[in-house]
Amino acid sequence: MFRLAARSVQHNPKRLLLTAFAVALGVGLIAATHIFTDSLDRGFTRLFGEIYDGVDVIVEPVTSDGDVGDPTSGDSVGKDLDDAVVQTARSTAGVELAMGSTEAVGALIGTDGETLAGGSGFGPPTLFFNWTGVEDFDSATIVDGRAPEGDDEIVVDVGTAEAHGLTVGDQVVAGGADGTYPSTVVGTASWGDGNNTQGATLVWASLDRVRELRGGGDGWSVVHVRVDDGADAEAVAVAIDDRLPDGVRALTGAAKAEEQAASLGEALKAVDVFTLAFAFVALFVGAYIIANTFRIIVTQRTREFGLMRAVGVKGQQVRTMVLAEALLIGLVASVLGILLGYALAGGIIGLLKALGPGESFAVPIIPLDAVAWGFAVGIVVTVASALLPAIHASRISPMEAMRDAATQNRRGLRMRNIVGGALALAGAGLTTVGLYAGLERPYVYVGAGAVLLVLGVTLLAAQLLVPLAYGMRDLLARVWRVDGRLAANNIHREPRRSANTAAALMIGVMLLALTATVTQTVKSVAADAIGGQFTADLMVVSTTVPGSADDAVVADLASVPDVRTVTRSASLDARVDGVLVPVTVLDTATAEEAIAYETEPAFAEIDGGVFVSPSAIEAGAEVGDTVTLVGEDGEVTLEVTGEYPTSGDGDYFVDFAQAERLGTTIDVWQYSIVAAPGADVDHVRADLEDLVATDYPLLTVQSPDDMLALANQLIDLMLAVITALLSGALVIAMLGVANTLLLSVTERTREIGLLRAVGARRRSVRRMIRIESVVMSVFGAVLGIVLGVALGVALIRALEEFGFETVTIPWVLLGVYTVLAILAGIVAAWWPARKAAKLDVLEAIAFDG
Amino acid sequence: MTTTLTETPRTSVAVAASMRGGAKTYGDGDAAVRALDGVDVDIAIAEFTAIMGPSGSGKSTLLHTLAGLDRLTAGDSWIGETRITGLSEDKITQVRRDKIGFVFQAFNLIPSLTARENITLPLDIAGRDIDPDWFGEVIAILGLADRLSHLPAELSGGQQQRVAVARALVARPELIFADEPSGNLDSRSGGELLGFMRRAVEEFGQTIAMVTHDPTAASYADRVLFLADGRIVDEMREPTAERVLDRMKQMGH
Ligand SMILES: Nc1ncnc2c1ncn2[C@@H]1O[C@H](COP(=O)(O)OP(=O)(O)OP(=O)(O)O)[C@@H](O)[C@H]1O
Ligand SMILES: [Mg+2]
Repeated sequence: MFRLAARSVQHNPKRLLLTAFAVALGVGLIAATHIFTDSLDRGFTRLFGEIYDGVDVIVEPVTSDGDVGDPTSGDSVGKDLDDAVVQTARSTAGVELAMGSTEAVGALIGTDGETLAGGSGFGPPTLFFNWTGVEDFDSATIVDGRAPEGDDEIVVDVGTAEAHGLTVGDQVVAGGADGTYPSTVVGTASWGDGNNTQGATLVWASLDRVRELRGGGDGWSVVHVRVDDGADAEAVAVAIDDRLPDGVRALTGAAKAEEQAASLGEALKAVDVFTLAFAFVALFVGAYIIANTFRIIVTQRTREFGLMRAVGVKGQQVRTMVLAEALLIGLVASVLGILLGYALAGGIIGLLKALGPGESFAVPIIPLDAVAWGFAVGIVVTVASALLPAIHASRISPMEAMRDAATQNRRGLRMRNIVGGALALAGAGLTTVGLYAGLERPYVYVGAGAVLLVLGVTLLAAQLLVPLAYGMRDLLARVWRVDGRLAANNIHREPRRSANTAAALMIGVMLLALTATVTQTVKSVAADAIGGQFTADLMVVSTTVPGSADDAVVADLASVPDVRTVTRSASLDARVDGVLVPVTVLDTATAEEAIAYETEPAFAEIDGGVFVSPSAIEAGAEVGDTVTLVGEDGEVTLEVTGEYPTSGDGDYFVDFAQAERLGTTIDVWQYSIVAAPGADVDHVRADLEDLVATDYPLLTVQSPDDMLALANQLIDLMLAVITALLSGALVIAMLGVANTLLLSVTERTREIGLLRAVGARRRSVRRMIRIESVVMSVFGAVLGIVLGVALGVALIRALEEFGFETVTIPWVLLGVYTVLAILAGIVAAWWPARKAAKLDVLEAIAFDG
Repeated sequence: MTTTLTETPRTSVAVAASMRGGAKTYGDGDAAVRALDGVDVDIAIAEFTAIMGPSGSGKSTLLHTLAGLDRLTAGDSWIGETRITGLSEDKITQVRRDKIGFVFQAFNLIPSLTARENITLPLDIAGRDIDPDWFGEVIAILGLADRLSHLPAELSGGQQQRVAVARALVARPELIFADEPSGNLDSRSGGELLGFMRRAVEEFGQTIAMVTHDPTAASYADRVLFLADGRIVDEMREPTAERVLDRMKQMGH
């Protein structure tokens, strides 16, 4: 059987080429994801090993639940270490050297006031370290010049020096949480061997300067320890750890490197899951194409299979043969896909390296799990998709061999409609349950429901196509005469095939429409919120590093002429009943001057109590109850005095007086400014900008419009990323349209020959195929848009408590998708139409199906 | 090969199609087959011409090249006054569309179109109007009136061939080519079909050229051309089935 299958593939390689490619693309995405993250993982593991190479033991603060913070962001959680910790480490047996080290997040500013690196904004951080002079602890070696000695001397990493053209002797300004400090570049240094900073800007300065940049204090961020020659680092780490107070721990450098690599691995896994989800969408679309291709091939070979059955081949053997063919294609596609994935991942890594931020990628190899997944997925998807057509083939009776292809009796669509209706209903039901029932893991229900819905609609689409094709026949016939009528006929002739083809496109477009609906709604909700709720004239925000709740900032901002009110928005994490919850901290007396919160009652009436959001209410809080918030160093029991209308902005709301009793760092992320009535806001803005430029370089001044623009930018970026990830699925769907048309051109060879014989020109044959393609594509796109918008609306309705009250239908984007579907149809028809038009009239008529 | 050198002058009137020195070679080198080897022929207007000859003698090739479905390797051919050798593919298609009807031995109809749509297909393609009287007359004579809304799969083989003939006639082409139109039919259906073609020639002045193997079928024609090895070796006017059979026996058929 396998030999027969191989012969069949060999006999007609072209029709299977596109099929294999459809699977290969999906497999390629999966393999690329694995290869990409594997390379990044290995690169970072090596990098972390390098960083902690010279450090035997590390002493660092931890939060009460042992969280050490995000290793990639540069800021650590917990409190600074005091000198006693350094002493403890130093006095432990086996310790040769222990030194504290301090770091600060800041900005590097040119003398003209232009920020070179850091400050507020996005991107990698600018980090200041004190220079210890111990190479292993600094992880850096001077390349040019010398180490910093005075407080106004700094050393920058060589990458930064090159990027900004800094050389020894240049003047710059170091910016910290509350001040700017003119400094001289006295040297450049390489961090580790390759100055592989991941785009971060590294600056070394004196200890005092770094502490100033942090906003004061005399603690340490971390203590580095070197053990005596021959001492066991692990044993020393345990010994130090035993003597440390709560909230501080000691561990070996190797263990720390491992920990960071593992934590990065976790983060990469999330990326993996995200991209793999799109790879599976692509494969799902691919499965449609394969099923459709096999269905067509089986139909075309009906006589052949009938003949086989007539000469004694068993139905089961026919089935095995078709499946063997699928297996063969699956194998080829998997190999192709894995190679494609390698090329794709290698290309992206190469591009990243060329652009800069790709330094940490290890040379990409094809890891075993990429191979295993590639083959497993490629083969399973192909064979499973061919299963139904194979079963269908096994049921072909020997009688079919005698029947002419044109006179084959058509099966009705009834069964298909019943199954399709049931699936669609079940899918819609499951989706609704997932969205509204408030179950655990709702996305499982929504996902499964969406898949069923798609399958159901695909099946029903065949029925939908029959009246549609008839309705369009007249229209198409009026516009394109015979070509239009024949195109409509062809679509209607094989409603199953046309529906399946259109459905492949439907899935991709559905996800696009869903994303567009959600993102556009988020946009308009954000616009409403910022435009309607923000009565503040300006906002001073910190995006890099949350500012401290320093009263001096408020006083300085308030001292700017024509500033009437400065009101802060801040956040912290506290525990309620042992669960870590987000708490929003506001200047409640003035908060409503800047932002129209729709609380009940107004924030001004909080009365030293706490307001609760719907999610806190769900957790059991009620007006009149008391809630106990537990912080790092204190707790408060507060009466619930009001309700906040939406979720997502924090679960609990308190004023600064109560928040300060928790002993947890309060991160102020926004100072809202209300100008005096009649004041020129542009003037106020200019004054504020001057103030922050010199005194608070990590803050920026924004208007509500700036914020809206930024929010829109982020949303657009998200839409772009998702669209890019979906493009794989869309390309596969287009291949599907091309493939179906190609197969049907083969099937209709004699017919096309006849058309040409009675006078149809090549051009009109081409046009017929093109119309067919465009109609199928638009049909799929419109179905996808309807489903996608419906799912989007359902999703938004389910998120009502987060403030999504109105749905914005993205008409413009939907129009664009429809136009793109028309173009896709034209492109997909290119090859099949060419093939059809090129057919030689006489050969075509003599063609034996 | 002397035949190709002596040019028979083309009679410019009353000729629907003609060929001079027509040659068609398939393949090259040792494997080359000369399907037509210097053919001079005129198809007279309003005449029913039958083309006969042993299998492989080049009958279909002659028909195809005359109709512009295939190109000659050498020589020229005309449809009416238009020399089609040398025309572009699109131009030939246009000539075919406007002046020629074709009936194949099998597979004449588009399966997805009804009988009526198949019949009007050439007119639809050309964007020409249908003459309802003529359409009705053709349909009535061919006995297809109650079959017009059927798909080809729902028609018998004989009915399918009649639809194909109707398609060829309704467009009122100057010339109809038919390649063994009755080959698939039993003698009664075949007889009816040929009888109708005869009537079309006599009553409407239709020009028809038909390939056949069947001496009885040939007897419906005004003239029979005999082909052997890609050359016209004989011709017979007012044929009867017996005379044709005799002639074929002479040719060693
Ligand atoms: N496409 C082709 N390629 C190569 N040779 C061909 C081709 N078509 C026809 N021939 C050859 O040309 C010669 C004439 O073929 P043609 O089809 O015209 O014969 P015919 O008289 O119609 O025969 P039949 O009565 O069997 O239909 C034959 O020898 C045939 O093998
Ligand atoms: Mg022939």
